[in-house]
Amino acid sequence: MVRWQRGLWLFFLPSFGLLALVLLWPLSYAVYLSFFDYYLGSGERTFIGLGNYVDLLTEARLWNSMRTTIIIAFGSVAVEFLVGFALALALYRLHGSAKVFSVLLFLPHIVTPVVAALFLKWMLASNWGFVDATLLTFNIEPPDWLGDPVWAKVSVILADAWVFTPLVMMVLYAALQGLDTSLLEAAQIDGASSWNTLRHVIVPALIPAIIFVISIRLMDVFRFFDLIYVLTGGGPGTATETITIYTYQLGFRMLEVGKASALGVITLIVVAMLLLTINRGLNKAYRGGDR
Amino acid sequence: MAPLTIQQATKSFGGVQVLHGVTIDIDDGEFVVLVGPSGCGKSTLLRLIAGLEDITSGGILIDGKDVSRLHPKDRDIAMVFQSYALYPHMTVAENMGFSLRMRGAKSDEQRRKVGQAAGILDLDALLDRYPRQLSGGQRQRVAMGRAIVRDPKVFLFDEPLSNLDAKLRVQMRSEIRTLHKKLKTTIVYVTHDQIEAMTMADKIVVMRGGHVEQIGSPMTLYDAPANVFVAGFIGSPAMNLLKGRIGADAQSFDLDAGGALQFTSALDARPGQSVILGIRPEDVTLSDNGSPATVKLIEPTGADLHVNLDVAGSDITAVFHERLSLKEGQEVSLELPADCVHLFDAETETRLSA
Amino acid sequence: MSAQSYPGRRRTTWVIFIALCVFTFINLTPLIWAVLTSLKDPRDAFTIPPTIIFEPTLKYHIEVWTENDFVFYLMNSLIISAGTVFISVPAGSLAAYALSRIPRRSAGPILSALFTIRMFPHMLLAIPFFVMGTFLNMIDTYPLLILALVAINQPFTIWLMHGFFLEIPRDLDEAAAIDGCSNWQAFRIVILPLARPGMTVAALFSLLLSYNEFLFALILTGTDTKTLPVAIASFGGEDISSWSLSAAGAIGIMLPIVLVMLLLQRHLVRGLTAGAVKG
Repeated sequence: MVRWQRGLWLFFLPSFGLLALVLLWPLSYAVYLSFFDYYLGSGERTFIGLGNYVDLLTEARLWNSMRTTIIIAFGSVAVEFLVGFALALALYRLHGSAKVFSVLLFLPHIVTPVVAALFLKWMLASNWGFVDATLLTFNIEPPDWLGDPVWAKVSVILADAWVFTPLVMMVLYAALQGLDTSLLEAAQIDGASSWNTLRHVIVPALIPAIIFVISIRLMDVFRFFDLIYVLTGGGPGTATETITIYTYQLGFRMLEVGKASALGVITLIVVAMLLLTINRGLNKAYRGGDR
Repeated sequence: MAPLTIQQATKSFGGVQVLHGVTIDIDDGEFVVLVGPSGCGKSTLLRLIAGLEDITSGGILIDGKDVSRLHPKDRDIAMVFQSYALYPHMTVAENMGFSLRMRGAKSDEQRRKVGQAAGILDLDALLDRYPRQLSGGQRQRVAMGRAIVRDPKVFLFDEPLSNLDAKLRVQMRSEIRTLHKKLKTTIVYVTHDQIEAMTMADKIVVMRGGHVEQIGSPMTLYDAPANVFVAGFIGSPAMNLLKGRIGADAQSFDLDAGGALQFTSALDARPGQSVILGIRPEDVTLSDNGSPATVKLIEPTGADLHVNLDVAGSDITAVFHERLSLKEGQEVSLELPADCVHLFDAETETRLSA
Repeated sequence: MSAQSYPGRRRTTWVIFIALCVFTFINLTPLIWAVLTSLKDPRDAFTIPPTIIFEPTLKYHIEVWTENDFVFYLMNSLIISAGTVFISVPAGSLAAYALSRIPRRSAGPILSALFTIRMFPHMLLAIPFFVMGTFLNMIDTYPLLILALVAINQPFTIWLMHGFFLEIPRDLDEAAAIDGCSNWQAFRIVILPLARPGMTVAALFSLLLSYNEFLFALILTGTDTKTLPVAIASFGGEDISSWSLSAAGAIGIMLPIVLVMLLLQRHLVRGLTAGAVKG
């Protein structure tokens, strides 16, 4: 750093001090805890090395929750991306009235997640919920939205999509507005169809925004907690129990904090690997696909 | 007011060296212009003097005192930025008085000095405005006002005119020159525009690739460029540079591209020597018994006539002050006065004749 | 794209317009339904088919704001959110400023590290907070939850503010240094006044993030410090006879958010791209 700017290092102190205190220290402590058999109820703590990890990786419940997480994560991110992108394109196309639509479409995202989950619960509640009441009016027997293992997953996916599609839409819409319009005009002059313009001009130009939004959505969906907790609590049975919900159960219901920490570390590793793969894959598809 | 000496200054960013031992002596009250193509290190050198970058090795002496380890505020310099860098949330008066305020001057002293500077720069009516309410030229003036309020030992200008339109640029050029005459403060002025350098400087420093190519008065650089680079950089349109070999009689010049040029008197070089021959467009004249040439392109600028000619397969530009009735494609004969010719070694590209 | 209006194009535009109208309406039904529910007497709330036309009552809204603990929880939420903002934003702004001024090769790794922190599962942080909180006897106190929220907030604040500081030209710092400012003076006198709009935006976003946060609030609060989202989740989930009241409460939670959103409008996308409102 240039001599006259050396004083700037002091500016980092408060923030980095805080981060060390409230982030790095607890996180290291969690990693440390993951090597112990530690039941918080009795306070007994014994070092068992990788014992928790071995336990977790060999039990069916973990793999079940992993599968559930992946189904819900990819399901909801796929819905969010496709719908969000379609909405962004529609808004971009409409420009005049887009402002009103963008505000209305964004509303679900500003709702506190817990409250959003409640709203949806009231929609989906059996019999008296809006959906069932409407279907019953027409004598259609509705499925048990939150009580059937398959429908519960679908409901959770749709709930996540309801809250987060607006985010995807806004980010992509903003990226679209940042596009150089001369690119699109050039494509039109070259006689490209709308589909070809989309595929060869718009999508490649949006790749950074797409990678960004998919990455942050995947990251978040893996720690996605509020919605499932309120909507199904992981049920019925363990049908919608994601890794996060399982960790919560382990740590705060069963008070097995050592094992729960180990599960947190596993989650972290999975998320990190997933994001790396996705970034690589998308980058490659983008570079290879268009030439 | 103080002399400024730069001794063997080098600067590296990471592994990249951008200044290779630059040495410049600047006298008290001198107006020095650093000029060169972008990336030549002139702005970096200016920032070294200001203390905004750390010098890697070497020294910077202001008034005989090595300041190269000092904080910018302790060097007693003032700087006019290319972007003007006016504080957007302060009025013109506050902008101009800021350095005094930071140095603990009393408010009536601030007001007096700001008033003085505003008077010099014709800013009196604008003192209560904010920068966003000013035109480009006015902002430029405020930036200068901020610099002169403090009466520093050295003024630094970093391409101050490059954001102005052409007309204003010419006007500000002479204003800065007048200001310098009035204040007599040492000025280091960076620009990439050789016309600015020629018209304003007492002394020009031509830089390229982190090296000083030549230091001298504008006319020295014009009349006796030290090397091919300076020859091509100073002057507009640029000097014609032709590669070739001195003929056996020293009165002709065999072009590498083929063909030969004839001169009326001997060239100042060994016959057979490989050289680069330079001649300024304004030194080329038409005569009856010179080298044959074909007119390729005529560009009237109003005052002058720029003519592009083909001489034995090589391009030569000529500038004529008189109104000639030339046509494109016309055959003419050119006289290249031997005493106006600049000769450079073909290998080292340095000047041969004195 | 300019909308030349030759017939085919105009037709597609209309199709898009109508499709969007339909989608928007369906998309908003949960909200509309919640608002209607909050205005219904139980006899209108449980009907097949669902009633659209009924005599609205503000009874439950009034009850929420006057009779229940809603206001108490709201105060908890506000205290905790404000506490988080007052710690997170100043500290984050200082770091972000320094980050925007140091050479890119030093700033880059720090920024990536901060972004990586975003990736951490909150559960992994919640466990040690819970364990330490238990030992230190700090469960159900304001400072513990505030610190936890600062932890998840800080990287976001730094990212957001970093963007704002980058937009303030470095020339101003340099001019200030030459004019006689130390780094701190340059920041306080020259840069800070220019960064104030950005800091407001960062503060509002942090406020939202803390106000909406659920996991840490659920784990680290108790009867004394319970925040609104935790309260409404435990209250509104189960008993359908209290639907109308819960709905009124849920809408009550939204009021401060709508207020903040109105203030934020212009900066929304920016906050989202810096790390999304819901962390």
